[in-house]
Amino acid sequence: MFLAVNGEKVEHRGDGTVLSLLAELGTTPEHTAVTVNGDLVFSKDWKNFKFNDGDTVEVLTFVGGG
Amino acid sequence: MLKLGNVEFRSRLILGTGKFSDTETMLKAIEASGTELVTVALRRFNREKPGDDLCAPLAKLKNVRLMPNTSGAMNAKEAVRAAQLGRELSGSPFVKVEIHPNPHHLMPDAIETWLAAKELAADGFIVLPYIPADPVLAKKLEDVGCAAVMPLGAAIGSGGGLSMAEMIRLIIRDSNIPVIVDAGLRAPSEAARAMEMGCDAVLVNSAIAAAKDPVAMARAFALGVETGYAARQAGLMPKSDVAVATSPLTSFLKQDGSV
Repeated sequence: MFLAVNGEKVEHRGDGTVLSLLAELGTTPEHTAVTVNGDLVFSKDWKNFKFNDGDTVEVLTFVGGG
Repeated sequence: MLKLGNVEFRSRLILGTGKFSDTETMLKAIEASGTELVTVALRRFNREKPGDDLCAPLAKLKNVRLMPNTSGAMNAKEAVRAAQLGRELSGSPFVKVEIHPNPHHLMPDAIETWLAAKELAADGFIVLPYIPADPVLAKKLEDVGCAAVMPLGAAIGSGGGLSMAEMIRLIIRDSNIPVIVDAGLRAPSEAARAMEMGCDAVLVNSAIAAAKDPVAMARAFALGVETGYAARQAGLMPKSDVAVATSPLTSFLKQDGSV
């Protein structure tokens, strides 16, 4: 399926869960927060939450800031 | 001890983590400063620059808590969303609410900041809003449950110093919650002055990160904060418009014996 991840169209070949996408992206899951179509998806739900084709996903992490 | 929400801190210096040339320097500066609370910002994960991710390096630091900020938020709604994401990622109840829609001066939006602070405090966050140096707004933020108020000394990153000193004095006079000068400081002497005035802490980022030697400057700011706070505890002498002699003005040196 195709997802819009951080503003880019990405083909997701995994099982459609958040964890699977995070692995594809090469992130460290515990260092990310995820929203799907604007809503926060809690990390406890990442194993079970399933994307729909065309979902807008934001994968966020901490960077330096004042 | 500085108390923010239900958490006590020995250090009265809060550090921002932006603008450092590299992560190693940032970590050393944090250690040299003795801070126990640092701000971080949320950004999209960047596959090209995985090294920008601060979660792993910051997790190495002991006794340092994270305070995610809401930078990038243009209004209260976005700030609340950023705060929720920051809490989910950090596990920390602290949030620095900052909403500054104009990139030219980065002045905080008082109305949106109040709206966001009210909602987040009700949701259990320990809320520290970055605000214009406005005593009326500061009091209203105290009323909605903020853990502290953080008036700006001068514009973010400007090094303008304590240009808002008189307004900050008014905030301190009326406040029942900690007052933390955030933004604008350039020199440790300004941090000392803020503490002497009655501030409870200062938040410093650019002055340390953009110094020639950030680690040494972090230490200098720690000393400045400590000095200013110690001076306030000691009690400054009263001011006088005229000279008050420190030595006895006796007349024994006069040749004619007059008194």
